[in-house]
Amino acid sequence: MSRSSVSLTVQTMGSHADRLPDETLLAGLGAGDADLAVAFVRRFQRVVYGVALTVTRDPVTAEDVAQQAFEQAWRHAQVYDSRRGSVRAWLTTIAHNLAIDVLRARTSAPVDPADLPTLLTAVTDTPERLAVARDSAAELRRALAQLPGAQARAVAMAGIYGMTARQIAVTEGIPLGTAKTRIRDGMLKLRAALLPEDVDDE
Amino acid sequence: MSELNSMSCAEFHDSAAELALGVLTGRERAEALAHLDHCEACREHVRQLTATGEQMLGLLPTAEPPAGFETRVMDRLGLTAPAPKPLRHRKKRPAWGHGFSPRRVLAAAAVVVAVIGAALGGWGLHAATAPAESSTLRAGTLVAASDHDHVGQVFVYNGETRWMYMSVDLESGNDTVICQLVGADGHITTVGSFRLADGYGSWGSPAWTGDGVPVGARLVSANGTVLATATISATT
Repeated sequence: MSRSSVSLTVQTMGSHADRLPDETLLAGLGAGDADLAVAFVRRFQRVVYGVALTVTRDPVTAEDVAQQAFEQAWRHAQVYDSRRGSVRAWLTTIAHNLAIDVLRARTSAPVDPADLPTLLTAVTDTPERLAVARDSAAELRRALAQLPGAQARAVAMAGIYGMTARQIAVTEGIPLGTAKTRIRDGMLKLRAALLPEDVDDE
Repeated sequence: MSELNSMSCAEFHDSAAELALGVLTGRERAEALAHLDHCEACREHVRQLTATGEQMLGLLPTAEPPAGFETRVMDRLGLTAPAPKPLRHRKKRPAWGHGFSPRRVLAAAAVVVAVIGAALGGWGLHAATAPAESSTLRAGTLVAASDHDHVGQVFVYNGETRWMYMSVDLESGNDTVICQLVGADGHITTVGSFRLADGYGSWGSPAWTGDGVPVGARLVSANGTVLATATISATT
C-alpha cells in the first residue's frame, strides 16, 4: 500500500477524516498519523468490539481483544490488500481470530449451546438501522435463518466459536460423522446462497 | 509428506468446510492441505467456503465499546492525541505467545493473512495453499521423535517482513513446550514457549534473530527433551 497517498492526507483533521475511504484511514493508522488513526478506530470500534464480545461473551476480555485487533491493524496496515476484501472484513477476521484464541485458552466450553438460539436470532435479524446491509448480507441472513436448526448450530459453533467437529459432537451428543456432515451441509447451503453474488463480483 | 497425498476430492469435500472455517486439525488437516497442493478445483471450493465463513462473521452484531476505548487504543499504540509527529513511536515488538489456538495455520498476523490468502477467497486465514510469493514461504511438518507421527506444522515467512508459526497437535497434554528454530549453520534459537491444551498449541513470532532462513524447527519439552522436529523447505 502506497505511503504517498498518506502524506497528502496528513493535513486532514477532525471531521474531514470521516469522509475518507477506509483504506486511507488504514494507511494513516499504519503510518502513525494520529488524526487518521483515531478516525479509523472510531469508524470500526463497534464492529471490532462487537465481534470480540459476541465470541468471548465477557466485556473486559472483549475490550482487550478489540485493542489487540487495532494493534494488529496498525502493525500490519501495509499488508492489507483491497483486492481480497474490505477493510471491515479484514479487521473482522483479525478480531475474530484473536477472540477464538481466547476461547481456546479457556478451560471452559467455547459456548453454551443454550446461548446459540439467541446468537442465531441476533445474526439473522435485520434491524432497520442496519438497512445499509448489502444484498449478499441479506441473502446470507435468509439462508442462515432457513437452515435446519442442527446445521445452523453446527455452522455457528464452528464458524463463530471455532469449535472442531469433535467438540461439536461432544457438545451436541452426536457422532463425529454427524457433526462433520452438519458443518459441511450447512456451509454448502450458505455458499449456495452467496454464489450468484460471488460470480457477479468476480 | 508423500503419504499424505492419498485423499480424493470426495474425501476432501467432507472436510472442506471445517478447513475453511479453521477448525480442522492434526492429521486430517495435513492431509487436506496436501490435497489442496495439487487440486485447483478443491482450492476454489475452499476459497468459496472461506469467503462464506467470512461473510458470516460480517453478520455478527456490533457493540459499543466501554467509554474511553478509543483513548486506550491510541495510548496502546503510542499515538497521542492529534499532533504532528515527525517520528513514529513503535513499541518493541513482543512475541505472541498466549496460548494461540491451532485452529488457524498462522498466528493472528495480518501479514500471514495476505501471504496465505493469495490462493483463497477473502482473507483465507484458515488454510494454507500456494502463496503469492512461494519462495518466501517455507514450511515443514513436525515429526514426533518417538513414533514419527506427524504432530504439527511449521511455517516460516521471509519476505518484506519475517514471521514464523508453529502449530502442534499431540494426543494429549497440558505441558509447557518450547519452540526452536534451527539455522542453516546448525545454530539453534529458542523462539518462545507456550502451553499445550489437551495436546493442542501454537506459537507465532513476528521475527527471528540471526541471518538466513531457518532450515528446521524443534518442539522441545520443558525439561529439554526433543519431542518433534521439522525440516523446513520452500513451498511449491
